[in-house]
Amino acid sequence: MMKKVLYSALPFCCFFLFVFAVAKTNNADATFRLQTTQNSFTAGTPIALTFATASKTATAHLFVIHSYGKTLLTSQNINGQLVFHIPAIYCIKTGDFSWFLIQNNKTVVSGTFVTTPNNTTPTLLENYLGPPSLLTGTEHFTMMVAIPTDSYDNPKDNNTAVYIKDQFLENITTTEKKTDFFIAWKNIYSRTKSGKMLVSTECNNTASKEFETDIQPSPGKNFTINYSRNHKYADGNQITLLETSIIRDSYGNIVGDGTMVTFQVVTTNDILLKTYAATINGIAIAQILHPDHNETFTVKGYVTGIAESNSIKIDYLALIKTFNYEFTEGNRKITVGPVRSFMNQIVPDGIKVELKIYHKNNLIESKIVETAKGIANFYLLAPFYKEKEYQFEISTLGITQKTAIKKYETN
Amino acid sequence: MRLINNRNIYRAALILSFLVICMFTLLGLAKIMDYLNTGADRSTMLHLETESEDVYLPKVNWTNLANPARDMEKNTLGKLQRDYLFSWYVKNTALKTNNSEGIDDYYTANTRLNLYRTIKYNKEHQITIENTTIKHFPDLQFYSEDGQLVVFTDKNVIEYQKIYQNKQLLTTVQDTATYKVMMLLEDGFWRVRHVLKMKAEPFTKDTTAVHPVFTVKNEHILKNNSPYTIKGINYYPKNSAWDTFGELFNKDTIAADFDIIKKANLNTVRLFIQYGDFGKAMIVPEKMAKLKTILDLAEAKNLAVIVTLFDFYSDYTLDSWTLTHRHAEQIVSTFKDHKAILAWDLKNEPNLDFENRDKGNVLSWLDHMATVIKENDPNHLITIGWSNSVEATNLADKVDFISYHFYNDMKHLEYETNLLVKTTKKPVVIEEFGVPSYGGIWNFWESSIEKQAAYHQKMQAYFKKNNYSFMSWTLYDFPHVPDQVAGRWPWQKNRQKKFGFIDDKGINKPAFKYISN
Repeated sequence: MMKKVLYSALPFCCFFLFVFAVAKTNNADATFRLQTTQNSFTAGTPIALTFATASKTATAHLFVIHSYGKTLLTSQNINGQLVFHIPAIYCIKTGDFSWFLIQNNKTVVSGTFVTTPNNTTPTLLENYLGPPSLLTGTEHFTMMVAIPTDSYDNPKDNNTAVYIKDQFLENITTTEKKTDFFIAWKNIYSRTKSGKMLVSTECNNTASKEFETDIQPSPGKNFTINYSRNHKYADGNQITLLETSIIRDSYGNIVGDGTMVTFQVVTTNDILLKTYAATINGIAIAQILHPDHNETFTVKGYVTGIAESNSIKIDYLALIKTFNYEFTEGNRKITVGPVRSFMNQIVPDGIKVELKIYHKNNLIESKIVETAKGIANFYLLAPFYKEKEYQFEISTLGITQKTAIKKYETN
Repeated sequence: MRLINNRNIYRAALILSFLVICMFTLLGLAKIMDYLNTGADRSTMLHLETESEDVYLPKVNWTNLANPARDMEKNTLGKLQRDYLFSWYVKNTALKTNNSEGIDDYYTANTRLNLYRTIKYNKEHQITIENTTIKHFPDLQFYSEDGQLVVFTDKNVIEYQKIYQNKQLLTTVQDTATYKVMMLLEDGFWRVRHVLKMKAEPFTKDTTAVHPVFTVKNEHILKNNSPYTIKGINYYPKNSAWDTFGELFNKDTIAADFDIIKKANLNTVRLFIQYGDFGKAMIVPEKMAKLKTILDLAEAKNLAVIVTLFDFYSDYTLDSWTLTHRHAEQIVSTFKDHKAILAWDLKNEPNLDFENRDKGNVLSWLDHMATVIKENDPNHLITIGWSNSVEATNLADKVDFISYHFYNDMKHLEYETNLLVKTTKKPVVIEEFGVPSYGGIWNFWESSIEKQAAYHQKMQAYFKKNNYSFMSWTLYDFPHVPDQVAGRWPWQKNRQKKFGFIDDKGINKPAFKYISN
């Protein structure tokens, strides 16, 4: 009987014992105390936080917030001690590290420690130089920004010395700058001479590569222009060269090749002509065709919006004083020429000859023909020119001659 | 010859099938062409497309833009701020989903590795962390001459996070830290190059002068320092129930209603602003104009207003926190000096969302919202319209007065109200109460306009005896009630339509006599 009672009671007892045991091992609220006293670590060294508690069973989680992430760590209670090993990915990065010990959904202890850059690892340097080109002068500068880090890509502490060096011609300048907010920086001012400047940095024996910045000449100052030509005659064929003086900036540097110069030409009749040229070694040479009549060109050069030249006058003399013409084939063919030039030579081919046809002082038509071997021919075909009389005006090379009234036979 | 013979049928079928085949071939070819052209749109190469929706809008306040290098341009600052917030957003999303999507757009090549490692670790350990930041106070330190590099200190970033392991919520943690940040401009994106977490700095005290009309002292609400008992009513215009600021908004209707309210010896109205209706994070200016009209009317008629925010909002997830903060901020800061407003009611009956939206979530949302509203409008009181007196003790220390809605048997009124006053030591307002006059098949002819009048008569007697602040539900019977308010079934809806003191034809019901005391 007793045995039966025992057998039936035993499972119950076991059950209750188990329940109590579970209740006992349940994570009872316990107080935790941080045992780790160190609150500053060097990046790259293992970090562990140890908590002590009176309870031999209580466990907790550690929630951590870091510059680059957040995570949750777990640990075992070993004889009243909880050790949380911070994952290596967090140990290598610097910054303030917040931790929150969480037990039973509550933060029971929280705190922070700090990880500092590892100065025993080789320094790495990241550099930014900009703008990459400058103008000459004292007010322009390029900025060198250096970001020294340790081998784990952690920016160095404030006040890390960085040497910023620049070379220009014979001059080499070295400046020591201290980092602040990750960076050491320097404004490197331009020079009055154009050329290439090299910039580099150095920190803890780590040197950067060589950075190059171009010092470009400033916008040019006013300049002068001149002209040269084969002869002074308005033959409509030769070319006059317009040439600037060497265009320099205010520091005497020759302006950059390719600086566009516009030559503006004003004729006697106030007609505006333009020609362009880009500078090479500071000089721009533009070309202009000789006029085909007596003319005076007023020329001025501009670098648009930046500089201008003096104004020069170029006179062109008329090539001829007069020319011959004759009517043949019942006045239906008009031959102009041969037109002779300044040395009595026949003018170059392509000289324009204009024929204006009048009937009773009314302009009926203008015809233009270019000379070939000094001669221009006009044909007045009977079916088109049916009137009995016409008068003509012939112009070439700035000379105009009016003919007598010519009679025509009509059918 | 018969037209319909086999031959013609074959012919027709042949022609038809030819047409159908042609049609499908052309459609197929068009589809293929279409497919081959996807991604070939040149405008997409330059990241010119803009995000159409704001997803993350924590408060950002640049405290300082002076720096030793280049002057910050307004345009660049906007872009920088946008990209910086996106860097937080993609980081938050990555920690929540353990997916690195978007990180390479907002972190440089070296920097993103750190985040990938974190994500990998958390994924392996099944840790997910929901985050949001509440506030940023960036202080520009350096903007390089070539406009490609910035360094700034983001002071006192308030971060709020919910930590899950194996999908179980472990805890929530709020932390404040300062971050030193370097960003580089790379192919059109400002990308984070370095982040350094640092200790938070002491907050600077807000020194804005406060000019409140309504204040609270012990268990009393004061208006210009003399005790003020709210005798109020919940108000919707008759034809725009739950849609005060909708298409039917009419100044004259509201003015006439306010006259009725004022003449009935009431001094306060309660209005409702719907989160979606007002444009969520991007407030719709027309709605604000309507709100101003209604508040100005109230001021002119010498009525105080309790404005209930966030009606029909029930998300509460961390993703929407910053958006709701901007919503509230824009509204309350616009009207922070308005004399008509007595209080901002943060949310109507938030405790009804406890079950579906997680109580902790709802409470922490309310808690932060209370802070946001107080910061942006220190002049007006705040309260939360709990649906019963038991839940009304939640966040009692964050509100200026306690509001609860009483729809119980009226013999419990004094007990519940007095208990609340005793436990919270704050003024208590019975912000809603009432009975419908609806008697019909759906409630077995339980109520009638006479029973409603008798109810209000007795309630007013209680209020008068105890000098309780009250706000009855509601001025009008409503011809239309939206489905999402009470439900779509007639036994739910009809009841809700008949709470008014004035019926839908504009005739005073017997209860109107007992609208106030």
